[in-house]
Formats: sequence, structure tokens, C-alpha cells
Amino acid sequence: MAYEIVVLTNMAIAVLFALSLNVITGFCGQVSLGHAAFLGIGAYTSAMLSKSGVPIVITFAPAMGMAALIGLVVGVASLRVRHDFLAITTMGVVFLFTGIVRKQEILGGEIGISGIPAPDFGRVGLLATSLLCVLAYLLFTIWVRRSWAGFAFDSISEDEDTARLLGINVPKFKLFAFVVGTAGAGLAGALYAHQVRFIGPDSFGFVESISVLAMVIVGGIGSIWGVILAAAFLSALPQFFQVIDDYKLLVYGLLLFGAMRFAPEGIDGLLKKIFRRRAVK
Amino acid sequence: MLFFDLCIQGVIQGAIYALIALGLTLVYGLLRILHVAHAALFTLGGYIGVIVTNGSGSFLLALLTSMLIVGVVGMSSYTIIYKPLLNRTPLIALIASIGIFIASEELFRIFFGAYGLSYTNPPLQGQIEILSGVSLSHARILVVVLAIGLLSGVGWLAINTRVGIAARATVIDPEMAASSGINVEMIRFGSFFIGSAFAGAAGVMVSLLNNLVEPTMGAVPSYKALAIIVLGGLGSVRGALVASLALGIIESFGTIYVGHLLDRDSIAFAFLIMVLMVRPQGLLARG
Amino acid sequence: MTAKRLQIKNVSVKFGGLLALDDVSFEVDDNQLLGFIGPNGAGKTTLMRVIMGMVNPLSGTVSLNGRNITNLKSVQRIHAGVALGQQIVKPLRQMSLLDNVALASGGKKLLSPFRALMVQRRCDERELARKLLIQVGLGDHVEKLPSELPLGYLKRLEVARALALNPSLLLLDEPLAGLSKPEAEQMADLISNLPRVGLSVILIEHNLPQVQRICPTLYVQSNGRQLAFGVTNDVMADPAVRQAYLGVGV
Repeated sequence: MAYEIVVLTNMAIAVLFALSLNVITGFCGQVSLGHAAFLGIGAYTSAMLSKSGVPIVITFAPAMGMAALIGLVVGVASLRVRHDFLAITTMGVVFLFTGIVRKQEILGGEIGISGIPAPDFGRVGLLATSLLCVLAYLLFTIWVRRSWAGFAFDSISEDEDTARLLGINVPKFKLFAFVVGTAGAGLAGALYAHQVRFIGPDSFGFVESISVLAMVIVGGIGSIWGVILAAAFLSALPQFFQVIDDYKLLVYGLLLFGAMRFAPEGIDGLLKKIFRRRAVK
Repeated sequence: MLFFDLCIQGVIQGAIYALIALGLTLVYGLLRILHVAHAALFTLGGYIGVIVTNGSGSFLLALLTSMLIVGVVGMSSYTIIYKPLLNRTPLIALIASIGIFIASEELFRIFFGAYGLSYTNPPLQGQIEILSGVSLSHARILVVVLAIGLLSGVGWLAINTRVGIAARATVIDPEMAASSGINVEMIRFGSFFIGSAFAGAAGVMVSLLNNLVEPTMGAVPSYKALAIIVLGGLGSVRGALVASLALGIIESFGTIYVGHLLDRDSIAFAFLIMVLMVRPQGLLARG
Repeated sequence: MTAKRLQIKNVSVKFGGLLALDDVSFEVDDNQLLGFIGPNGAGKTTLMRVIMGMVNPLSGTVSLNGRNITNLKSVQRIHAGVALGQQIVKPLRQMSLLDNVALASGGKKLLSPFRALMVQRRCDERELARKLLIQVGLGDHVEKLPSELPLGYLKRLEVARALALNPSLLLLDEPLAGLSKPEAEQMADLISNLPRVGLSVILIEHNLPQVQRICPTLYVQSNGRQLAFGVTNDVMADPAVRQAYLGVGV
């Protein structure tokens, strides 16, 4: 039972993390190859605070705040660059983050932070908390999507210049997406820190940034439900493959390639295809 | 002599970066795709270099075989990975490319073992004293000579041959080139061949410098090369070469002077971000 | 003196070392339809971009309804009442025509994400969008995606979308280009009706017969300089205009 709870908590955190990137990349169309940095900022903030005695739930707000603050700074810098230049700039952010953390004694350097207190509400309590966080963030992003903010994002993600000519204040909307997205990642990080209870710079690197982007794209860019399914599936994948442990990265890599090659619209596209076929019959 | 040493370090690293980045920037120019799997070709080059050298005893043969095979594999990567995805958003191709890269690292490990391979008799280890107190191995000199030779060879072809001119036109504006009768498909195959072969050569040279090839040797080039072509101004070949050299030298000095604050990769990316904030289009614009 | 709808005063623009606009001044009255012509490379699009705030002039001022807007960003100018219909149409291809237009009529909600977040209702904007689409003759296609329609329809969508911004000054960059003769005629009629509902329009166009037919006033520019400005028939009779624009010797 304990094992299933761990797996489920990991899935919930992955779903939250992917939903947060979906706001930036899916809704607003700003590709980020460095989203794990904000997971890390949330995790480190929350871990440091809870080690100094702050109750876990209280650390969520500063974890989100810190991630969003740095997200805002990165967002402002990102306004200067576009498309692939933006993708690589955000990739730079994740390398800067891990590089800086590695050299800071106070953040545990290469070794990281261990002995993060276990949540006093237990493993099941942490799972419930994670699910609540996912639900709250999910409802918020659904609201965003349906509001005029989502309407404006649709135009920005398709064609920024046209969006400008329609009277949309593009930079403000982009910064909004960055703040909402990075705050979500910060929250996921706070949960993650207390789930694994040991964090180091290697947990928040380029590879993690790529895997979360893969979740968003395999899910179907911008599709909330597709992204949830993809995140749940891809994060649990290593568990399914325990038996073929030696080949799990091979399978993962081929799966990413296969998904893009044969279902480039992602899970969202597949579902739509299935339902359309049903409807026709 | 620290200053001089660091310069040499930087130039050698820059030469390796340049060999890798050329293919990546050509692919970007032609397809607007970030070709991450390119780094797997670099690793493949290293493996072929070690295996053929150990088997035949000839390093030259190994280098040529490696470039040829990697070039051909590179061409097939165009057909297999990118061609079916060309009319999709480039993100799709990027993720597909990353998938192939991850899978290939595993394939190298499964076929050749997790600990990598070494040269039984490492060639070109003799030292030359180029200044009093500063000596370099033949291998390190060869890296620079090879890079200059190969890159200027391609430069000469691009300027002086019909095919080269057509290729440059295609990199600058693929649609225009296609409408003026250039066989864009041939240019793509050619560019993938040359770019991949050069990455293969870089793989062989790195395997020689470290006397080691391992499954993960492509990890750093996979993202560093992206940084280089962005720094150079995406799609600009000249920019990529300048950026390669600049990054090589900055990393080599940076690790000594600010190494206590930032590691090698973050020095490179800090430099990248600073440049992009001043010049969002990269060091040299396209063209 | 009452404020003009648009007043351009001594505007100069330099690209690199090249003077793209050289001390240009002109005015647009309320409810006026002004034809803006000139040979290729005359700086027409540059002047449009100056008015929209996409190009910063080296010197000179742009005023709208008496308000100096020279230092406003494009997005602020749009909300102050200037709209642009582009020569190359850029519909949002993922949205229906209705949503393309409805989004543009979002008003102040588009200025701040927080205000946008507060509102989910789109029906008022959709209602207005439907009316505008009917006005430009696209009433039968409101739910279609732009990819399902030919260029002539998309040109009209571009106009409807610009109108949705509720401008007091509308800039149209070659709205007739690429249209068949009857389509161009229809579009010209549509444009000539706009001043009646309180709009001033600047029409950049190469289609001289249509411009002469619908525009009471003409502004002619050549090599970044004003060549003539006045009543259409007088301007067209001006030898300098005929020489520069039509290449006809005197």
C-alpha cells in the first residue's frame, strides 16, 4: 500500500508540474526548456523553511512566491527574445540555476539538502494535499482558459504580431503566463521536496525540463486533459518498466519519438479522432 | 604561461564545438529545426573511431570510416525523423529528436557497455614544444588543424561551386531557392551528410583526446551546440563558428577565474543570456 | 481652431543612413476618406507604421483628435482609436471568423490580464462581431475557419476585425490588392460607406480607378516627400503627380 501511495503522489506532482508548464507553453505559446529550474526553486525554498521549523503547508506560499518572482524576472528578460531564441534562453536558465546551486554551501552545494522533515500528516496526508493542490491549480487553469485571458492567449500563441494589432497588451499577458506557470512549478517543487525528502541540483536539471515539456507535447499542446493524462502516464512509466529496468530509457526515448512521428497532435488529437469517428458512426 | 595555456585550451575546445555546430546550424537553416539527435552522431563517430583504430591499427582509416558512416546515418536521420514532420510545428520535431537522442544513448550502452571503450594503443600522443615550457600532443594539434581544414574546405565549396552557391541560397531562403529551380531535397541530403560527417570527426577527435568513448559523451554537446548556434544567430554559419570559438575561450578562462561561483555550463549560458539581452538576434544575423 | 482627427507634423524617419520620410505633414478631417497613393518605395507603409507606432520618427509629431500620441506604444494608440487593416491578411487560423472579430472587440479587457481573467462572457462581443461580419458581407460564414475561405473573404475579415477595435481613424493598407474586379468594386463601396458612421479612413491603394471613384481627397507621396495634397481631381491633374506617379511626361 505504501508503495502505491508513493507512486500516486509522484503522479500528482508530475501532473501539477506539467499543468504549470502548459500555461506558459500550451496557453501562451512560449516554449520553455528550463521549467525544472522553477520546480527546484520551489523545492529549495520549501525545504529550507521546513528544515528551520516552519510547518510544511505554510512553506507553500513562499515556495510559489519565490518561483513566481524569479519567473517574473526570467519573463521580463524573455520578452526580448522569440521562438527558438526563447527556448534556448530558458534552457540557459536551468543551467544557471543548477550551476549556482552547486556552488552555494548554504544550499548544500553538490550534495544537496537531506533530512527534509517528513510531513506530520503522513504519506496519505501528503497524497491528499498533493491531490488538493492539483485540483486547485487545475480549476484555476480551466478558469484562465475560459476567460478572456485564455482568449487572448490563443491569439498570442498563434501569432504575436497579429495579437498586438488586435489591441492586446502582449508583454503583460506573457508575464502573467510566466508568473502563473512558475508559481505552479514552485508549488509542485514544495510537494516534491517533502515527498522525496532529499533534493540536490541534479533533480532539477535540463533532463527534467525536457521530460516535463515532453508531457505537455505528448498530451497535446494546450490541452488540459491531454496534458494530465500524458503527465500521469509518463511519470508512472518507470514503475511499469521495473521488469525491464535496463531498457527503460530506451523505451522512453522510442516512445517519445513514436508519439511525435505517429501522433503529432498528442493524446488530445488521438482522443478527438476517436470521438469524431464515433460521432460519425 | 597560464594565459597562453588557457587560450590554447579554448581554441581546441572551440574547434571541437565548431565541427559539431556546423551541422546543427545547417540543419536549422534548412529546416528550422533544433536537431538534438546530432549529438548522438557525435558519439557514434567516437565509437567508430575507437573500434576501427583498435581493429585495423590505422587512425586515418578510422577517421575516414567514421566520417563516412556517420554522414550516411545522418542522411537517414533526415528521412526517418524529420521529413515526415516538416509541416508540423518545429516543437514536434524537437521532441522526436530528443527521443531519438535518449534512445541512442541507451543503445550505445547496451551494445558497447556502460563503461565505454578506450584505444589499445592511443595514436598521436607525441609531444611538440611550441614555445618554451608549452608543449602540445600531436592529437591536440590535429584537432585544430582538422577543424580549420574541414571548415575552410566547406567554405571554399560554398563560395566557389555551383552546388555550394545553391546550398547557401537554400539556407537563406528555402522557398525562394525551390522556386528558382534548386533541388532543395538534394541540398538537404548533402548538408546532413557533411554536417553529420563533421560531427563524426569531432567525436573521433574527442575520443582521442580523452582516450575514452562512453554512452553519455553526447550529453554536453546536445545542449551546448544548441547554445552555440543560437549565440551565433540561428542559421548563420559564420556566426556559429565565431560563437564556437568565443564559447571555447570563455569557458576555458571562466572555469579558472569564476569557477568558484559557476560551473562550466553555467558560465557558457550566463554568457549566452547576456549576449541575447543585448543582441536578441545573436552575434551575427542570418545571411 | 478645432482639433483634426489626425495631424501629422514635420515627420522624418531614417533607416540606417536613408531618409525614408522627409518632413512629412498632412491632416485628416473628421469623417473623411483620404486616398494615399505613391509609387513603390515612396514610404507609404513607413508612414502608416509611424501612425501606428511601429516605427519611431526621428522628428515630428502625430496627434489624434488633438492628443499628441507620438510617444504612445502601438497598443495604447489602438485603444486611443487607431486601427490598421494590413495588406497581407493575417487571420488567426485556429479561430472562427466570429472569434477573430469578437476578440478584437474585447476593449479594455485586452489591456490587462487581470481584467481579462475576471470575465468569461463573450456573447456581447460575439453579437457585435456578427453585426460587423454582416456589414462586410460575411454574414453567411461566421462560424467558418479562415482556412476554409478564399483571399477576397479574408480581406473583408481584416476590415471587420479593424472595425471591431472601434477606431476613430482606420488605416487600410491595400485592401483591394489581389481581389478580382467585382470584388474590388464591392470592397471599395464598403470602404466608401465607412465615413458615414463617423470614421475617418486613410486608404493606401494602387488601384487608381477605384481610389479616384471613392476618395474625395488625395495625398500623394514620392521618395518620402509630400508631392501633392488636396481635392482628388486637382491632384490628379497636377503635372508633378502625373510625372512621378504615372510616369507620364508633360
